[in-house]
Amino acid sequence: MTKTTIAAAALSLAFATLPAAAADLAAGAAKAKEVCAACHGMDGNASQPEYPRLGGQHEDYLAKALRDYKSGARKNPVMAAFAKPLSKQDIENLAAHYARQARVVTAKY
Amino acid sequence: MTKTTIAVLAAAALAAGSALAQAPAGDAGRGAQKVQMCQGCHGIEGWRTAFPEVYKVPRIAGQHPQYFVSALKAYRSGDRAHPSMKGIAATLSDQDMADLAAYYAQPGETTRKASK
Repeated sequence: MTKTTIAAAALSLAFATLPAAAADLAAGAAKAKEVCAACHGMDGNASQPEYPRLGGQHEDYLAKALRDYKSGARKNPVMAAFAKPLSKQDIENLAAHYARQARVVTAKY
Repeated sequence: MTKTTIAVLAAAALAAGSALAQAPAGDAGRGAQKVQMCQGCHGIEGWRTAFPEVYKVPRIAGQHPQYFVSALKAYRSGDRAHPSMKGIAATLSDQDMADLAAYYAQPGETTRKASK
């Protein structure tokens, strides 16, 4: 195998583990600024105690939470209003954005 | 002021006080005694749910205690519908929830426990 082939194979392996719809981080950050940041902060570390910290949360969990708010499976009038207008792609982008922010807590458990 | 007025005012003050006291204060030490049921899923980094949908169980260490309690209450009331979490939250008192919230809000606590 040439180096290029190996690199290509490694790349395809790396991408195989990503979710189907590739997230657009720049679009996620833009949407976060527009919709989420007022309460959750751009880095997801909300200062208000009633709002969850999102920074460094698992990407697939964040996406599931948004899907559930959007569908009404998870009942929260405030989050329903924010999640309803989000597209599937918006949700992937936002989840990717917040999952990549630093966690406040250094604990690894 | 008549005695009745004073009694009414005292009762109102008590009622206001009990409204404030609705949320019990959490105790991280007591919380530590109650985390066994949490750690089987939330204590394993990268652990995934199996049913009804597969995703990584959320990281809960360092979460705001107030949000933590509201999440557990939403599972208990059915506003959030995850079957295992609903079952677990149903067994928790408000005091248990506050204690668990206090436990998980301690930065680094879980790291120290794990490294012992």
